[in-house]
Order: sequence, then structure tokens, then C-alpha cells
Amino acid sequence: MKKKRAISSVLINAGLIIGALIWLSPLLLALMNSFKTNGELLTNVMSLPTELNFDNYARTLDKMHYFRSFGNTVLVAGVSVTLIILFSAVAGWKLCRTKTKLSGFIYALFIFSMLIPFSSIMIPIYRVILALKLKNSLIGLALVYAGLGVSMAVFLYHGFVKGIPQELEEAAMMDGCNQFQVFWYMVLPLLKPITATVCITNVLWVWNDFLLPLIVLGDNKKYTLLLSTNTLFGQYSSDWTAILSALIIAALPVIIFYAFFQKQILRGISEGALKG
Amino acid sequence: MSKSKRTNLTLLLFCAPALIVYLVFKLIPAISGIGYAMTDWNGLSKDFDFVFLDNFIEVFSDKYFWQSVWFTFKYVAVMVVVANVVALLLAVAIESRRHGKGIYRTIYYMPNMISMVIGGYMWMFIFTQVLYYMADNWGFTFLDHSWIGDPRFSFWAIVIVSTWSMVGYLMIIYLAALQGVPADLIEAAELAGANSRQCFFKITLPMILPALTICVFWTLNSGFQVFDVIYSLTGGGPGRATQSVAMNIYEEAFRGNIRYGYATAKSTILFLIVMVITLIQLRVMKSREEEL
Repeated sequence: MKKKRAISSVLINAGLIIGALIWLSPLLLALMNSFKTNGELLTNVMSLPTELNFDNYARTLDKMHYFRSFGNTVLVAGVSVTLIILFSAVAGWKLCRTKTKLSGFIYALFIFSMLIPFSSIMIPIYRVILALKLKNSLIGLALVYAGLGVSMAVFLYHGFVKGIPQELEEAAMMDGCNQFQVFWYMVLPLLKPITATVCITNVLWVWNDFLLPLIVLGDNKKYTLLLSTNTLFGQYSSDWTAILSALIIAALPVIIFYAFFQKQILRGISEGALKG
Repeated sequence: MSKSKRTNLTLLLFCAPALIVYLVFKLIPAISGIGYAMTDWNGLSKDFDFVFLDNFIEVFSDKYFWQSVWFTFKYVAVMVVVANVVALLLAVAIESRRHGKGIYRTIYYMPNMISMVIGGYMWMFIFTQVLYYMADNWGFTFLDHSWIGDPRFSFWAIVIVSTWSMVGYLMIIYLAALQGVPADLIEAAELAGANSRQCFFKITLPMILPALTICVFWTLNSGFQVFDVIYSLTGGGPGRATQSVAMNIYEEAFRGNIRYGYATAKSTILFLIVMVITLIQLRVMKSREEEL
């Protein structure tokens, strides 16, 4: 019995290790081959590079306008997530604290559309973007993300506020604080844990979203990181050394983000899922 | 002004920023979409005609649309099973380890961080270069297929990349659920002579059923919208063999034809399909949960 258990434990470990290697293989193979010359890559894709040659990186940094695309993505993610947090925190708090028919209605209005798939409303959204002259505008793109993201965030804040006692807020009002001060100085700091979750999940969503920028941004000066990578792939369809180095630097920001915030990211998923 | 009126007014004031962006960019598009679906709007001309149900009638005889619907159903059915089975196996295996839980979790979740577009291109390298190399040099001839060009294999290429990307997310949810299963319950069952398979199917699985409901829901919902991974791997081809509904709509609206009205009719149908199926799923699985 004991022996059998030990064997199965070894087998499970072996399986997990092989699986982990397969899981990492796209990244490792891309990294490995991104340092090679084209000739080297074509002779053997499984060999380690003979030297750490950064020529491909120098080439693609320039060709995909890496820093510009990176800046564009940061701008869109930064603006949209800031708006989502501020707008939803204040709305979620007030909706939770107000018990009128209207508050119930507004809350239901936010929740009701949470399940509408993006691909089924992308064309009417595009129409709104055209009408508001936001095509090719990074701020416009950020505003669309805010509009798409607030309902989930309002839901999360609303749920979190329920667990915070109301007495403190009432006391502060008695002392002559106005509602906005109460929110800004008192409630917002208390919301920190849920703000972290909202922030991280939304940054990742906006950062990795492809279809919306593909529709909204037509001018390559405004391209996000994913759109630039995609364009580069189209231009260099058989030059794998260029493509692989581009993929590595395009994936790098999220991998660094993951290294720093892994705990919060994983906690956000399990909490969000089991609550919803 | 009465007190309740004033409460409602401050409420509106505090909700206004969120409400405005939400109405403009989500709710109004969602509602007006149904209206556009009944027009022949092509995006260029300012005015368009109301054609009532003509678009919907045309959709019914649109061969490519139904082909993409069929493809998407096939994809969703396979993904719901494959992604959840792999994720659950991984979660159970990782949870049973005394050492290395953290590192396994880190590695298996990683692909979920990377956009499917980037992941898709990385896999493209594997499918078009690495596998051929392995077939030629290592004798792995079973890998010697046109993974991208042949629709029989490109379907599985898409499934493989999607699984690689999605499984980490599901695994985290299953892991959290497994941690909620009391260890002494399993121990008691083992003492009573149950083997590990019985323990899993009779105790663990029923206890993590809520997580299963969530994960299947999530796979269904994201599966029906599949776009990125197909866009980067096959572009919907060869021909239109691997085109999903979302891709079909995208092409109708933004490539070539620019028939927004018609494409919106298709979007409305997609929405109805997703809604009906996810509601059925939630209904069925929730009632299962209650039975136990």
C-alpha cells in the first residue's frame, strides 16, 4: 500500500514536470530562437543559440515602434482603469448606502448587461465611436473600456461596501464633512482590497484586449502593443527571428507584471469567481 | 425639496460618471443594435432604409454564417470538456503535492497572462517549424501534418492553443474549491476502505460542484466569443474552414463588405444563442447542486 502510493506520487510528479515543460515550451522556444540568425534558426530550431545576439531585438524594437506602442498601451490602460475605479467606487458605495427605488433600479441597470458578449455589440459601439469622432483616439478607446468595465466593478464595490459598517460615515457627516469628503478621505481608503482586485483584473483585460483596438485604431501611430505585434507579423511572415524577438518583448511587460503581482492576481480570480 | 427627492438627487450625482460612460458605450449600443439589425446601413452613407426582418431572413440562408456557427459549437463543445478535464486533473495533482505547489501554479497559470494573439503566434512557430523539425530529425512522424493549412488538424491546433491559454484560469478556481474540501472527510472515507477514485467521485467532486458550474459557464461564455486565437493562428482559413461566429461578424462588418446592418443582425443571433445556452447550463447545473 505504502509502496504503491510512493510510485503513484512519483508518476504524478513526473507528469506535472513534463506538463510544465510543455506549458513553458512556446515561451522558451521563442526566447531561444530569438537570439539566432536566420540561417542558424533554419538549420536547427531546437538548439541553444551559439551567442546572445541582440540584433533581432534592436531591429524589432525599431520596426514595431516598441516604445511608442508601449506608451500608447500604458496610456489607454492607465486612463481607463483610473476611470473605472473612481466611477465605480463612488457609484457602488452610494448605491449600497441609499435604499430607494431609484437605487435598486440603477443597480439592476448595471448588472443586467453584464452577460452581453462584446462581439454582439461591437458594431453599434463602433457606430457610437464614429458619431462621437473618437475613431483613432486613444482617450476615446479608454472611454469605451470604462463604459464596458464599470458594470462589473460597480457590482464588486457594491458587494464590498455591504461589509463595511456605516456608523463611521454617519459620525463624520455629523462633524460637518460633506459627502464627497467622506467618500474621498474615509470610504476610498477602506475599499483598498477590492480596489486592488478591480485594478489588476482590468489592467490585464485592457492590456490584452485585441478586438476593440483593432476596430477603433486605424492609424499606426496610435497602435497598441498587440496591434504593432500583429502588423509586424504580417510584414515579416517568414522572418521568424524578427517575429520571435517581437513576441518576447511584447509578452515581457505582462510577465514582469505577473512576477510582481502574482499573489493578488491569483487571489482576485478565485475570490471573484467564487463570489460571482 | 423633500428629503427623499434630495437623497435620490445626490445618488444620481454620485452615479452620474459611471452611468454616463455605461449608457453611451454599452447600454445604448446594445439596445440600438437591435434597431440597426433591421436596416441596410452600410457605414458609409448617412441615411439608410428600414428593412425590418430582411436581414434576419437573409441570415437564415447564409451558408458561411451557419458554417461558422457549426464550427463555434464544435469548438465550444470540445473546449468545455478538454479545458475543464485538464484543469481539474492539474488542480487535483497539484493539490496532492506536499512540495512545489506554488511553482506549479505559477507555471501553469502563466499562459493566461499572455494575450492569445501573442500566444497564438508563438504556437504558430511550433506548428510550422518545431513540429516539422521533430518529425524530420527525431522520427516523430505522427507530428508531420499541415497543422495550420489542413482544417482537420487546424481545428485541433486551435483547441491546443486555447487549452494552453485557458487552463490556468480554471485551475486556479478548482484549486480554491479543492482547498475547501475538509481533509478529515477524505481521511475518514479512506479508513472506511474507499480507494482514491471513489473518494474523488463520491466526496471531492460533489463538494466542488459550484466551482464546476462557474468554470463550465466561463468556458461556454468565452468559447462562443472565440476570436483572438483563431485570428492569429489560421485567420479563419483555409478558406473559411476555421471561421468562428465572432470572426464571421467581424469580416462582414470590417473587411470588404461593410454591411453593418446585416452584421448586426448576425450579432443579435449570436447574443441569443449565447444567452439561451448559458441560461440552460446554469439552470441544469444549479439544480444538480441543490440535489446533492
